[in-house]
Amino acid sequence: MSEPLTKLFMKVASVRSAAAAGRTFLESYPVDEIIQKAKHGKDALYPFSDLDEYGRALLGADISVKQATRFSTLDELVLLPPIFTPKRLERMTELAREPFFSDVDLETAIGGFRSRLPLAMASMGSTDVAHSQSPHLGRGAAEAGIPMGMGENIATVWGYARRTKASMPTFKQRLFAYLDHVKEPLGGVVIQQSVEDAFDELWHKVYTDPDVEPFFRKGLVAFEVKLGQGAKPGLGGETKVSRDAARSLKGKYYFPDDPDTVELDLYERHSAPGTYTEEILRGQLRSLRTNFPRARIWIKAGPFRDLLAMFRVASQERIDAVLVDGKEGGTGMSPVIALKDLGLPTLACLKRINDARLEGLRAPFVLSGRLFDGGHVVKALALGANAVAFGRPFIVAVGVGGAKGIRNYLEATEVEIRMLISSLGKYKVADVSHEDVGSLDRALADALNIPFVYA
Amino acid sequence: MSDPGLAPLQDHLRTSYRHVRDPRMQKVLRVQAALGSAIREYLDGEGFTELLPPIIGPVADPGIRGAKQATINFYGREYKVTSSAILYKQMMAASLGRIYFFSPNVRLEPLETASTGRHLVEFVQVDIEEAGATYEDAMRRAEDLVEHATHGVRARAGGELEAIGRRLNGGGTPYKRISYEEALRILADHGREIPYATEIPWAEEEFLSTRFQAPFFIYDYPRGSRGFYDREHPDRPGILRDFDLLYPEGYGEAISGAEREYEYARVIARLRETGENPSKYEWYLDMLREGIPPSSGFGIGVERLTRYVCGLKTVWEARPYPKVAGVFSP
Repeated sequence: MSEPLTKLFMKVASVRSAAAAGRTFLESYPVDEIIQKAKHGKDALYPFSDLDEYGRALLGADISVKQATRFSTLDELVLLPPIFTPKRLERMTELAREPFFSDVDLETAIGGFRSRLPLAMASMGSTDVAHSQSPHLGRGAAEAGIPMGMGENIATVWGYARRTKASMPTFKQRLFAYLDHVKEPLGGVVIQQSVEDAFDELWHKVYTDPDVEPFFRKGLVAFEVKLGQGAKPGLGGETKVSRDAARSLKGKYYFPDDPDTVELDLYERHSAPGTYTEEILRGQLRSLRTNFPRARIWIKAGPFRDLLAMFRVASQERIDAVLVDGKEGGTGMSPVIALKDLGLPTLACLKRINDARLEGLRAPFVLSGRLFDGGHVVKALALGANAVAFGRPFIVAVGVGGAKGIRNYLEATEVEIRMLISSLGKYKVADVSHEDVGSLDRALADALNIPFVYA
Repeated sequence: MSDPGLAPLQDHLRTSYRHVRDPRMQKVLRVQAALGSAIREYLDGEGFTELLPPIIGPVADPGIRGAKQATINFYGREYKVTSSAILYKQMMAASLGRIYFFSPNVRLEPLETASTGRHLVEFVQVDIEEAGATYEDAMRRAEDLVEHATHGVRARAGGELEAIGRRLNGGGTPYKRISYEEALRILADHGREIPYATEIPWAEEEFLSTRFQAPFFIYDYPRGSRGFYDREHPDRPGILRDFDLLYPEGYGEAISGAEREYEYARVIARLRETGENPSKYEWYLDMLREGIPPSSGFGIGVERLTRYVCGLKTVWEARPYPKVAGVFSP
């Protein structure tokens, strides 16, 4: 195990103070692959180990998967490059030379922002693992020219502008870790507000903050209505906090153990999932437009069975972006039973997005949930997503090399995306479509209405 | 201050302690006082009871268009400074029938409002509520009140108005009434399309206001564009029984009013439109569960009325010691 991997292992293990949990994460998540990218950038794209070198190694497609899953993932799809490539001819005509993968135009509109890649940094919340690293995460995302999400409860738990714990950044420090490095006109920040943050009027606070005002004026700030998350659809945010924090938050969250009377190291802190009907959602979206006309409006939804009904509301209300987080989405803390049994897998969410496209809904869609490489990005684009969001890969990458780890990781992912799109004979993100993807599984092929590659 | 555009205003308002001795300002303040007594004369004559306004409480009106509520530390708990007295009005009307406050409000408005000429962070509104009234009744009340105040002020401070050089167009009641949808159509006809079901933006409101020579109503706003307490038409879902009164000549919004939701189950669903946990409004919900009668009412900003009557360029010329978003002044 390389040295950063050991460090990461310790970090992961310490989060739940159980080495087994860390081991499971290392075994089931492509941590080594992400670490290599975070260390070496695009040099990590080739499958040489420290023992192989170019000119000596013999390599081919790995036909095994790291861990068999209970449900289908995007890894059961493959991209289908063609021989005949009219779009490449178009590009060649523009360039007056044969195009390379470097000629793919990746700049993408995501939810009212411009992004250098069809990729955003997913919202991460108040849990230590993301929050302690947030200065590097924010800077990394800003410098890479991609939008970044800020999850729930950050201000309520860590303070808006005054620290609740000396060693932890405030909401505003986290926000400006991004905004201070933003490369206009690229990027943008997406801010969530939990029911508990709403108690303190977080969005109003941000909207009336003179320091943030210039960024609203430039259209670089979105507010995101959160309808659950991938790892625990239908449940509220859950985390553990210290006794001091628990005492100060007691009135706003649900604590199974009363921090005033029960003595523990850490207290489970639950937030409410929030109650919605179509009418409540519609009303909330409209109020957002009225109250914060300069903010973009995003929706983040967990993997719910009625996604399509929500997409219709979002489309009618002209929401800037709808992000859907599949059940494999990352989490700082979710009940095991929720991880096992709640919600639609990411690929099933992508199917809903695909259905929405067929129905002619015009909301821009962003997909997230255990997506970590360029292949995932291009497959999602092929099936109707406008962009994807990554979460955990950035946590791993930041653990390896801070903001630079993020830049390296994105450099590698960017080249992957370029290569894959160009291999399809296409040079624009918007040209990637249905025809570019096939399934290794017949049932899946039927469900997604794409070719079964062995047929 | 981060916004360099505010610098001239900042310079101007830094000496606002001195402005109150300016001869023109003295006249404006006398007109304002005359307006106050004309309003009181009208309302008292109509059987309204004036009440002392609440200044702080555990919750305040959340429907204040992006403005943030001011807070104070109330013995370890956070209390809100009144953003409007709306939550208190319904019970007072249930008790006394017809009531009003001269209610000081504080709203930490977004910085963008510093340049509208129509927004103050601290202002006074006459907040009126009438048990058993419909929103049509409330509109009639609103136009009577504005007519009485604008006529009354001529009797009381005609000299000042003449010196200021302001002559109001007659007009007379009833004021013109256009629906929200018609307002959107007028705007669209002038190339100013706005998304359905949002409140009319400041610039468009001002534009609409320039199209009229006398005050006019916009009624039937769609759900989502206004506070949770504006009552939804029982037989026209999505449409609210509410209204704004706008001054003409570009002076913009004068009054916001509505029939109130008063049934607990309807209010709790509407409250979620704010994204908050209804438990925050505990006392208000308890009150509704215990049952209160229907009512309607509205609020009219005293500084905006003064601005209109005196024909002032901006609303911060219409009160002593004005507070404007993002501007530090006495």
